[in-house]
Amino acid sequence: MASLLICGISCTGEQPPRGGGTLVAAITTDPGHLNTAITTNGGVHNAAGLLYNGLVSLDETLKPVPDLAERWEVEDAGALYRFHLRRDVLWHDGRPFTAADVKFTFDELLLKFHARTRASVGPALLRIDTPDDSTVEFHFRRPYAPLLLQLDVEEAPIMPKHLFERGDPLQNPANTAPVGTGPFRFVSYRSGSEIRYASNKQYFRGAPSLDNVVMRIVPDLGTQLVALEAGEVHWLFGVPGPERARIRRDPRFKLIQTPGVSGGSNCVTTLGFNLDRPLFRDVRMRRAIAHALDRRQFVDRVLFGEGRVADAPISSRIAFAHARDLAMPAFDTAQAARYLDSVGWRRDGTAVRTSRGVSGTADGTPLVVGFTAMPGQGVYGDLLRAQLRAVGVDLRIELLEPAVFGQKVFTARDFDTAIVAYCNGTDPEIGVRRQYVSTNIAPVPFSNLAAYRNPVMDSLFDHAASALKVAERQRVYREIQELAIRDQPYVWLVETLSTYAHSIRCNGLAASSHFAVKASCTE
Amino acid sequence: MKQGFVLRRLLQIVPTVMGVVLVGFLLIHIAPGDPVLALAGEHGDAEYYAFMRSRFGLDEPLPRQLVTYFARVATGDFGVSYVHGRSTARVIMERVPATLLLTGSALLMTIVISIPLGALAARRPHSARDIGISTAALVLFSAPVFWVGQLAIFALALKLGVFPVQGMASAGSASTGGSHTIDVVRHLALPAMVLASQELAALVRLTRSGLMDELARDHIRTARAKGVGEPWVLMRHALPRALMPVITVIGARAGQLIAGAVVVEIVFGWPGIGRLLLTSLQTRDTPLLLGLFLVISFTVTLANLVTDLLHSTVDPRVRLG
Repeated sequence: MASLLICGISCTGEQPPRGGGTLVAAITTDPGHLNTAITTNGGVHNAAGLLYNGLVSLDETLKPVPDLAERWEVEDAGALYRFHLRRDVLWHDGRPFTAADVKFTFDELLLKFHARTRASVGPALLRIDTPDDSTVEFHFRRPYAPLLLQLDVEEAPIMPKHLFERGDPLQNPANTAPVGTGPFRFVSYRSGSEIRYASNKQYFRGAPSLDNVVMRIVPDLGTQLVALEAGEVHWLFGVPGPERARIRRDPRFKLIQTPGVSGGSNCVTTLGFNLDRPLFRDVRMRRAIAHALDRRQFVDRVLFGEGRVADAPISSRIAFAHARDLAMPAFDTAQAARYLDSVGWRRDGTAVRTSRGVSGTADGTPLVVGFTAMPGQGVYGDLLRAQLRAVGVDLRIELLEPAVFGQKVFTARDFDTAIVAYCNGTDPEIGVRRQYVSTNIAPVPFSNLAAYRNPVMDSLFDHAASALKVAERQRVYREIQELAIRDQPYVWLVETLSTYAHSIRCNGLAASSHFAVKASCTE
Repeated sequence: MKQGFVLRRLLQIVPTVMGVVLVGFLLIHIAPGDPVLALAGEHGDAEYYAFMRSRFGLDEPLPRQLVTYFARVATGDFGVSYVHGRSTARVIMERVPATLLLTGSALLMTIVISIPLGALAARRPHSARDIGISTAALVLFSAPVFWVGQLAIFALALKLGVFPVQGMASAGSASTGGSHTIDVVRHLALPAMVLASQELAALVRLTRSGLMDELARDHIRTARAKGVGEPWVLMRHALPRALMPVITVIGARAGQLIAGAVVVEIVFGWPGIGRLLLTSLQTRDTPLLLGLFLVISFTVTLANLVTDLLHSTVDPRVRLG
């Protein structure tokens, strides 16, 4: 009888999928620490996302679904959010997770150190209450619509109060030997080499089937790819454009492409004009450049066909806010030439236009425009230069490493035009507002690059943030986008995708912060 | 006499290292770039970045930052890395073993291979063997190291599968003892060979030209005339004197052992100091950079001292002082 029973499970040939295995993922930089609540640095989030949870998570359609919070209510027309937390969640060190952890994480970590959450939720929030151990209430000064999209593990990972309540959070030992609630727990961190995680057997959604995940630090992207081919690595967070076609054809690998996850997602590569420069004060000048650009070519040549032409200032992935059928400036070199002529930049048989009657510019000055970018975006510059050359604009490219780019463009404001991947996030409040409102013209990286000032725009954004009905927000964001196109402080070039690659020896992988939670690997 | 020299030189190390760190400090601050982006990530508001700057003392006037830094260093506190949030000394010390292992093995490989090769080439100048050795060394020296590295990975790791592609040990390996050592040696072989290939040329050529000069001298002719065997002439009479410039070059290389090898460490994902130097430069992690400058300049000056002492041992004509 006993043998029959055993046979009933194991002799049919239909065994349940065998779990286990070790997944090795390649990351580019040594994150330095693994606390995702004190930074928005993508390297730290890639390396440590598996350790933590947010109050909610976002499904593929960006709809909030339960995570640490099992349900929630929105009251007072959107000024009060009440979350009911799961009671079965344990920290990796065995202590129970409670509402006090949530309040502490927001008050002492996220609202102080997480740049996005601090900048967006911070000013609107009045206080956080914990009526009991499993209830958290967020009280806002005024109705605040986007909160539920800002509580996932990327935007608001919850940290253990019992480890962080003493001392300086930036130097807490738990930053390099972290404790979370997530599907994997920390095992070891070898500086410059690798970070090891093991399956969290007590995970409240059930233990992941993988035994281990190793985050391997491989700085060179070429080496990462070879390591994937040699079977030393199973998951890459990025694949260089020219290599994607080859990897896609290779049956040993699979590619996953998404517009990104959460805060760093839905990026629109954007050319910004420095409106402090007399050259770009006249909107005709900005429109001329917009009309001169064939943005389809950026998709084909820079993105290797993976991505799409931006057809609105807001990413098409934020479906409710993205406006359709807008009058974006079409590729029309004749129109560009007419605008340039009308401003006074004439082409009298010369390759580069010269000024005739441009106010503040001596006649005969050639039309030379500076272009500043980080090295990774230099390829955009080459194509921009070629396209602008056709209408008589001489683009001078200057490539600066990130630390210098941030300072030169946003602090010193010493540039004519610059290119930035504005990641819109899951709500325009997260990643769109910062480009347009005049209060965000500051020596701050990735703020309002153009230094665009329009009081109407400012009040429209305020209205959109506090309107609770989606239809109302949709209407206001449409107005915002129409106004943005009229004023043209930016040219929205292309929407980009993130590309992940994995070996077919591992399956169940997904492009999210918890990418390995459902994965299994065979040796 | 010798002790006085050593003591004097040791005392000179302090101002030299302080000078390097001071110049480094000024250069970092004169160069454009802002650490706050790497520290905090993007998307913050002005208030946030101001807050982060004040947390790390970046809003203080430069002279005060400098005084604070040196006052701390005097007490043995090298500050806290912006990016790692831990003591700079600890972050550096964690990387030192890996770097010493890589650069040390490469240097050893270079010495063991290049001196015999140089001697072989010098025995019959302008012979096919000499031309072959010199050309091969020159080709390896001229090829960019990242390219040699990629080729080595492609051929020896990916196609032949002899060596692993990257890292210092197998991913996630918890092995210890003998199997761990074998694992590390397998990972070490390729980057050490590539690094050594770059150093070979200089030493081969120096050994060769030094020996050729030496072998043409009178005392060698005398030795040969007395009937001393050729190997003995080479090893005992010519080589020690020919090795003087070689020792200088090796000494200079030894001083940089701890500075790591930026390109090779990046191509092979080797967790050493060279990579730490580059990333801390990119993120403008000033305390970490200054700590690295300090450690590297200290070893360089120390190695120079040892080189001078070696000179006087190998060649008694060299006077110290």
